[in-house]
Amino acid sequence: MSKVYFSTWNGELINNISKPEDEWEESAYNLPAQYDDHRDSKAFIGWDGVALFDKNVDVIRLAMEYAAQYQEYSEACGRCAPGRWGGQILYDQLDKIARGEGSIADMDHLKEIGKSMKVTSKCEIGKTVPNPILDLMTYFEDTFMECINEQKKSKHYDDEIGYIAKITSPCSDACPADVDIPGYIEGVRDLRMDNSLKATRQTMPLAHVCGRVCPHPCEDACRRSNLDEPISIMSLKRLGADWETDHKFDFFHPKEKKPSNGKRVAIIGAGPAGLTAAYYLAADGVEIDVYEELPVLGGEVAVGVPEYRMPIDKYNQDIECVKDMGVNFIINFKVKPDDMRKFEEEYDAVMVATGTRISKKVRCDNENPELDGYWSSIEMLDQINLWDKYGIGSPVDLTGKTVVCVGGGFTSMDVVRCSIRAGAKKVIMIYRRDEKTIIRNTTYEEYHEAVEEGVEFIFHSAVNKIIDEDGVIKSLDFDMFELVPDPDGGRAKLVLIEGAGFNMEVDYLIPAVSQSADLKLLPQEWELDMTSWGTIQTNGKDYMTSRKGIFAAGDCEYGPMTIVNAVGQARRAASVMSRYIHTGEITLSDDEIMEDHLKKLKVYNKKEKITGWMPGVLRQHSEVIDVDIRKTNNKEVNLGFTQEEAMSEAERCMRCYYIAMVAT
Amino acid sequence: MINFKINGISLEANKGETILTAARRNDIYIPTMCYISKTTPCGSCRMCVVEVQGVDGFILSCNTPAVEGAEITTNSVALENERVNIMKLYDVNHPLECGVCDKSGECDLQNKTLEFNIEKQNFSTRDISRDRQNWGLINYNPSLCILCEKCVHVCNENIGDDAIEIKVGGYSSIIVPKDADYLDCTFCGECIAVCPVGALVSSDFEYSANAWELSRVPATCAHCSAGCPLEYETKHTGVNGMDEIYRVKNNFEFSSLCGAGRFGYDFDNSAPKNSDAFDKAISSIKNAEAIRFSSIITNEEAHILELIKDRLGIKLFNDDARKFAEFMKAYSSVSGKLHHSGSLEAIKQADAAIIIGSRIATDNPGVRYALTTAARHNGAKIVYAHPMEDVLMQNVITQFMKYEVGTEEGVMAVLAHAILADADLDESEKAFFDDLDLGYIYAETNIGDEELEDMMKSFARSKNRVLIIGNDVIAHECSANIAKLAALIEKYSNFCVVIVPREINTLGVSLINTLDKDEDLENVVGYNANGSFVISSLEGSDLAVPALNQQEGSVVNIDNRVLPTNVALKFNGYTLNNIANALGIKKDNTIDYTKELNQDTGFKSVLFDDLENYLAKMGEDIRGYILDEVVCEANGKLDKLDDLPEYNGTIVYHCDPVLQFNAHTNETKQLEKDNFLRGSAQFCVAARISDGDMIELSFGNIKIQREFKLDSELKGTIALNPTYDIGIDANRYRFDKSKIVRVVQ
Repeated sequence: MSKVYFSTWNGELINNISKPEDEWEESAYNLPAQYDDHRDSKAFIGWDGVALFDKNVDVIRLAMEYAAQYQEYSEACGRCAPGRWGGQILYDQLDKIARGEGSIADMDHLKEIGKSMKVTSKCEIGKTVPNPILDLMTYFEDTFMECINEQKKSKHYDDEIGYIAKITSPCSDACPADVDIPGYIEGVRDLRMDNSLKATRQTMPLAHVCGRVCPHPCEDACRRSNLDEPISIMSLKRLGADWETDHKFDFFHPKEKKPSNGKRVAIIGAGPAGLTAAYYLAADGVEIDVYEELPVLGGEVAVGVPEYRMPIDKYNQDIECVKDMGVNFIINFKVKPDDMRKFEEEYDAVMVATGTRISKKVRCDNENPELDGYWSSIEMLDQINLWDKYGIGSPVDLTGKTVVCVGGGFTSMDVVRCSIRAGAKKVIMIYRRDEKTIIRNTTYEEYHEAVEEGVEFIFHSAVNKIIDEDGVIKSLDFDMFELVPDPDGGRAKLVLIEGAGFNMEVDYLIPAVSQSADLKLLPQEWELDMTSWGTIQTNGKDYMTSRKGIFAAGDCEYGPMTIVNAVGQARRAASVMSRYIHTGEITLSDDEIMEDHLKKLKVYNKKEKITGWMPGVLRQHSEVIDVDIRKTNNKEVNLGFTQEEAMSEAERCMRCYYIAMVAT
Repeated sequence: MINFKINGISLEANKGETILTAARRNDIYIPTMCYISKTTPCGSCRMCVVEVQGVDGFILSCNTPAVEGAEITTNSVALENERVNIMKLYDVNHPLECGVCDKSGECDLQNKTLEFNIEKQNFSTRDISRDRQNWGLINYNPSLCILCEKCVHVCNENIGDDAIEIKVGGYSSIIVPKDADYLDCTFCGECIAVCPVGALVSSDFEYSANAWELSRVPATCAHCSAGCPLEYETKHTGVNGMDEIYRVKNNFEFSSLCGAGRFGYDFDNSAPKNSDAFDKAISSIKNAEAIRFSSIITNEEAHILELIKDRLGIKLFNDDARKFAEFMKAYSSVSGKLHHSGSLEAIKQADAAIIIGSRIATDNPGVRYALTTAARHNGAKIVYAHPMEDVLMQNVITQFMKYEVGTEEGVMAVLAHAILADADLDESEKAFFDDLDLGYIYAETNIGDEELEDMMKSFARSKNRVLIIGNDVIAHECSANIAKLAALIEKYSNFCVVIVPREINTLGVSLINTLDKDEDLENVVGYNANGSFVISSLEGSDLAVPALNQQEGSVVNIDNRVLPTNVALKFNGYTLNNIANALGIKKDNTIDYTKELNQDTGFKSVLFDDLENYLAKMGEDIRGYILDEVVCEANGKLDKLDDLPEYNGTIVYHCDPVLQFNAHTNETKQLEKDNFLRGSAQFCVAARISDGDMIELSFGNIKIQREFKLDSELKGTIALNPTYDIGIDANRYRFDKSKIVRVVQ
């Protein structure tokens, strides 16, 4: 709910003009009435309408400045005839009216061009820029006509007013890393893979990784799903990265590295968050040391995500790209409290990005990690991946063994599918809830591929007790539950089915329920604020901890989450840090403030009716190698799109760029 | 197939085919400004919008596939209104300089403005200053540019230079050189060809003629074996003047042309009838022991030479075609077919390719463009096996397989070994591979088995594979065995083979003439070649004859296609047919021989005038005809591998720079005549020379002087030595051990 003077946002018409302020009707949307701590917004104007928070807004200039953004600010425009010339005419004619030289014919031209742009423009910017302008011309016609009739300037034409704009799109808005998704898809469509990759790398250095193993929240916010099916956004990301790798180009960085500015930052952990922060800080000219406990770089994506899902030679390309920015890595270095104290002294800022590397217990009777056969998922995946990818340690051989994994998320999927590949006789996934939920928590593909490979899923089940002989696990007692719907419409409850439990002989019990953060590196006397689930507390916007100069991002801040979440947090943190190390102050850029506002407002509207696109052009699916070929080895399961598939998929993208602007 | 309707007419479309393509195939008109068939649609003009029953809003037809059951309307009042509005926008501030603009008369903007009845510039806006740019052979005028993006797309998707891009910024958007201050490209001029307005023009042609004053002569490009279709545009130069070629155009909608084809057209010869010289020519031929000739001639001329040989009992020398014929003979002895199976179209359709033994981007731009298309549109995995990297190919190839100079036979053997690992070979073929000392070959060629594994891995998903064989291999001393290995790959795998002929008609000559091994005889008449008496279209001949743009006749290109070419400019002197008539070989016209060409090698008995010379509606190449396949005996056996040679020291590679091919291109005025010896920093050290040095280069028994240029794009100890200005024996393996001495000036 926001207090507004006037709003046409998303079809609502709130008109408090000439009403006393205490009788103002409120808007149902989270409009950015307060720009930041020290600035109010006077107006918000965007693809879906316009909202005025103040009576005194110069609506003509607001319309003109919005049109100007389209011409000057927009990196997207210039790509279609209606947008390129139409946009210029909108701006030109509005400016003419605003400076007191307009005519009635200009109003007609604006309406005519606006209408044409709405139906024929290439992307949503062109289609939507006329919306709020036409709204203002309709509801404030008198104001426009007054300037025209009297040939006078609009009321604040010459005043200093801040206009802050941001380009967004439903998918980018839903992406935790704010990736310019329409931009990289356009690169694929134009067969300019370098542009595609540069668009991705502006905010996401791990293009190979997030083109393969991202759970793609963006696809749930794809406007194309309002028409038929969402774009296969994730898979299109890897095309740019594969192209760079295949042709052995030097790395396409989105911007040139700035010269060194003499500042130094230490980053603890070389996982997705650490790599991301290192990349953007190094690009800004900061000297970066990344400390990594493991003998290899990459964090959980290296030692957690298996080779068949994320080939290490591809991940190494992402890591090389970060190195290419000039980042210093120190491996086999376990950071201790003393080191942290030293780092705080020696560096201008420190970032903790150590992830969550402790497997949580399944919480059953006789659960003792010392038991032979009790194997934490983190340790198991470490051993498998270190051997398979780097030849470090020893291989895992489960020939003839029965493996039980308790889980339901990505990690547990990795455990069971790796167990199949390690030759296990029988692999069972124990999950408390149902099939639908496991698919929602992972992906449809992941679940079905595991089933194909022979993993047995027992839903609505839990381990009740471990039975051991002389410290060796022999069997497990299981409980079975049923889901009883909540008559009040709440979340269904799990109710134990008496007598349905059973016992099974097993060799291994692998808990993959969740992970927690190992934060023994933090000096106790720092007394950092912690969340109730044992991760480092920040405000989720600037990622500084309760101690000045110490930042945290990724799973150790948020709890076990996705790669793209870690990347998004770390990039924001890097941006905040790059200012902090110079000024000692914590600030957000306008782009970041706008990003947060738009996330609150939500760009994607799943009820919107799509026009101007042919429905029934269905989503492409990439080839997956046959189960008999893949289940005994580490061959990459998903072969990715062929060029033809990629091009047809990219053609489906509707380029839903929008411009949002705040006047302060 | 997808069944749907346009304007009530039931149509079929292939899966994935766009509405626009299906409409065009069925002669249904939908207006476009930015669409070009050979690239992905960029969707910038929005003119091609259509209506679909039951769907709100307009649908873009250029990038929307036909959907089962859709009912589409291409014309309605609403659509017409929007198209008119778009045209009004296109006309915003467009300079009214049609009176002098090069494009006037063939301008898409002009045509569409008329088509949609835009009588005035309805809208205007404050304009911004945009400077004209001179980019060498190309001029760019941003004020005329309508940002259709055709130039950007062809440069990237069809040519591969990827040298220009759009600098976006709303109304101020312009085309700029990509990542550079100046245009660094191969100057194919394709951007000029596709420009629908006068924004990109040839700087030589600009303001020299109006489109409607020019006559068009359809012909075949004479510069390399791609045999690209082109049109010479000619005009009278004065009241009593001769015609001149003003420019070259191509059917850019479907085919591409390199800069030599586009800008290197003025290699025509001019001479009056000199009867003294003619008489001398006749007596020289009568006294000659042999005629030496180049492959830059028509099939009909080759046929006449063969008739002269038969009549006079003299020898015919043409080592280029002879080496090619020998190579093809060895190939046929295994494949059982006279002609190679691939074509440029097969390369365009390929999703996997191996290219060996050619610096293909300059040897044959047609092949390069086909590879670019395959790389972009099919994501083809392309292995480039050569001793030298080529920076022009970097954005096309996916694997560079560097081998040691001279070891091509070993390279082909290990390639065949990798490709045919699971093939059902016969005993002797198996024995050949069992006999291979792989360790030795890997060591000597410098190709590792991991590289071959990577190659096979990258080819795993491919369905259409091509093996492209270049001139290094044809001129190699073990060429016969290499040819057999290529044929073996073709026989047992899904690779088709393209063997790249060196000159425009190397392939035709190899099928028409029985050639003798060249020897240093006293009385040799040269026909476009060296000799004691030279008959040639080049300068300095003893008898002048017409160049290829002054002749009717046919040639055979890399596709095994017999292509007609026509007279762009009249030649007043004598022709080879005049000589033949004087020698008693009687025919009125050279083209009377077209139907008599050697049918044993696949030529058809077709009259010259029955040969078509255009691309059909959807781009189908229906020029001339494809040679009939000729089955031959397949009794060839692979020879045991020789020891692989070693090349040490400073090596030169005979290779022409971009835009140059031969003495004919060397005669043209627009093409750059870069004749430096180019080498890397490492080469400088090895040869003890530096940038700008005048050097004397010797190889075999040849000595020439050149300026040395340090080229930062090159690596290793091999330098590039141009041949277009010196001519080089086609028999010669293209890598040469050389001696380089600095010339003290």
